[in-house]
Amino acid sequence: MDLKTNQHNVTAWVNDYSDIMYGYVVQRVKDTDTAKDLLQETFLAAWRNVEKYNGDASVKTWLFTILKNKIIDHYRKVSNRHTEELAAGEKDNDSYYFDHTGHWTKETYPSDWGNIPLESKEFYAILGSGIKKLKEVQAAVFTMKYLDGMESEEICKVLNITASNYWVLIHRAKVQLRAYLEVNWLVR
Amino acid sequence: MGISCKQATDYISKKEEGKITIWQRYQLWRHLAECYLCKRFEKQNQQIHTCITEHKHEDNHEKLPQEDKNSILQALENAEKDEA
Repeated sequence: MDLKTNQHNVTAWVNDYSDIMYGYVVQRVKDTDTAKDLLQETFLAAWRNVEKYNGDASVKTWLFTILKNKIIDHYRKVSNRHTEELAAGEKDNDSYYFDHTGHWTKETYPSDWGNIPLESKEFYAILGSGIKKLKEVQAAVFTMKYLDGMESEEICKVLNITASNYWVLIHRAKVQLRAYLEVNWLVR
Repeated sequence: MGISCKQATDYISKKEEGKITIWQRYQLWRHLAECYLCKRFEKQNQQIHTCITEHKHEDNHEKLPQEDKNSILQALENAEKDEA
């Protein structure tokens, strides 16, 4: 097949795969606009590099490989922005959750959840919206770790952060997410 | 003097990933023996983890709106024109 025919295939792939790819990316980034941008970049990259597609993998797998790389690039940008913010003196604030001695503040005492129906789709949906409420860089770390099962060393390498940066980010993400679930799940 | 709740919750994450020293593990164990708040945190943290593991492979059926498909197709068309 010549290049032109191949490029026309990409158009067909938009119809075949954009829904499933959108479902994947929208769970991993902050908002739908970012998800749509990354998806469009993915199809443009596929179009430009279509001669590299050699048919070894399925089209779907190939497109997902490009998409995953785009998501990682996006996370890296978010992480760089965060590092710049920190360098500019903008500090994350833990004092809402822990007092100066490091004890839980009264307002954020974890309460007893009783039995959470972990299989419940509703609980998972609230969890998903809680992740989107995190700072973008925290959400990126949390998603890589828990949704994509990446090891912390790998995450640090991809985001170009130190291990101690990683632990601070994951700690804050967990503390905030727990508090969000407590408010939004228990007090329904 | 034992560790604080802030440290304990951090150690809980490290323990989960197997990145905790024996001394930290001991300190955490001492803390959790007396702090029901951090014990709750630990349990809830595991529940969150389990919940994600159970659901993460489910397809998200959110669809890309047709107008956004059209704009991707338009972008491809433009790329083609630019190349020509």
